[in-house]
Amino acid sequence: MTHSMTDDRLIELIEIWGADPASWPAAERAAGEILLRANPERFAGALAEARALDLMLEALPEPAMPRALTEAIVAAAPRPKAARKEAQRWFGLKTPWAPASGFAAVALGLFMGLTVAPVASADDEMTVEVQELVVSALGFDTATYAVEDVE
Amino acid sequence: MAFTSDLDQITRAAAGDAAAIRALVNRYSPGVLALATRMLGDSAEAEDVTQETFIRAWKALPSWEPRAKFSTWLHRVALNLCYDRLRKRRELLPDELPDRADTALGPQDRLDQSQRVKAVEAAISRLPERQSAALTLCALQGHSQTEAAEIMDVSVEALESLLARARRTLRAELLEGRNA
Repeated sequence: MTHSMTDDRLIELIEIWGADPASWPAAERAAGEILLRANPERFAGALAEARALDLMLEALPEPAMPRALTEAIVAAAPRPKAARKEAQRWFGLKTPWAPASGFAAVALGLFMGLTVAPVASADDEMTVEVQELVVSALGFDTATYAVEDVE
Repeated sequence: MAFTSDLDQITRAAAGDAAAIRALVNRYSPGVLALATRMLGDSAEAEDVTQETFIRAWKALPSWEPRAKFSTWLHRVALNLCYDRLRKRRELLPDELPDRADTALGPQDRLDQSQRVKAVEAAISRLPERQSAALTLCALQGHSQTEAAEIMDVSVEALESLLARARRTLRAELLEGRNA
């Protein structure tokens, strides 16, 4: 598609979009360049003014993207579905008691093992090391309680 | 081409693909940050806007419909966040106007490069916000006429009018002193 170009419109293009034809709207670029090449002296003043401003704008530095900002943006991004499910299984609000009940069961098992076992085998001799371990773990000597209960 | 590759990356990013997420961030965050910095003139606020823009993008990804290019959509969100912040500033300081320092540049002033840059940045920051947005998108970031008009949600004619006024003001402020 060709566009007719007038002197007035070309001066507008230069004033609005700058001296470099590459920055002019694509639809008018070719026609503008043809007119400019045919009569360069008519547009020399407008081009010089526009070029001076273009140079000032081109000299403005681009702000650097801080690495911490990039990482914060990435960290806020969607997570893979599998990772979301896994996180929800352990830390989500749907079944918060699931991991807690597992830990409770282990703790109860340990406690029962250390307190009931000596009763069941009160006559068995506990080594000194085992007794020390039990006392340090529970804060009292289970063997004493077991013997008292039996008596 | 970029549109197609965006769609592919958006789909993968929505599913949590780390590489696609990082590619989108690396490709678009510098432009969003530059737009916000130029609009707000404050790097901390510009970083907040950049982060908020992407948080909104992440929320929108699962239901993303390619009615617009992803970059156009992102820049529009960022621009609206900037307008919001500028409006809040005006509400807080309704009577405060920026100082109108004489920023005309001339060889006689022997301005060094950093002073020149500051003078241009100050002149841009004094432009009305829509003129500043048009200038930033087109002259500084190289968005096409159609793309910039779409980001700003204005017609191409309105965009050209904003750009013409912005450049006329900058020419008057920065260059006329040279010819005096």
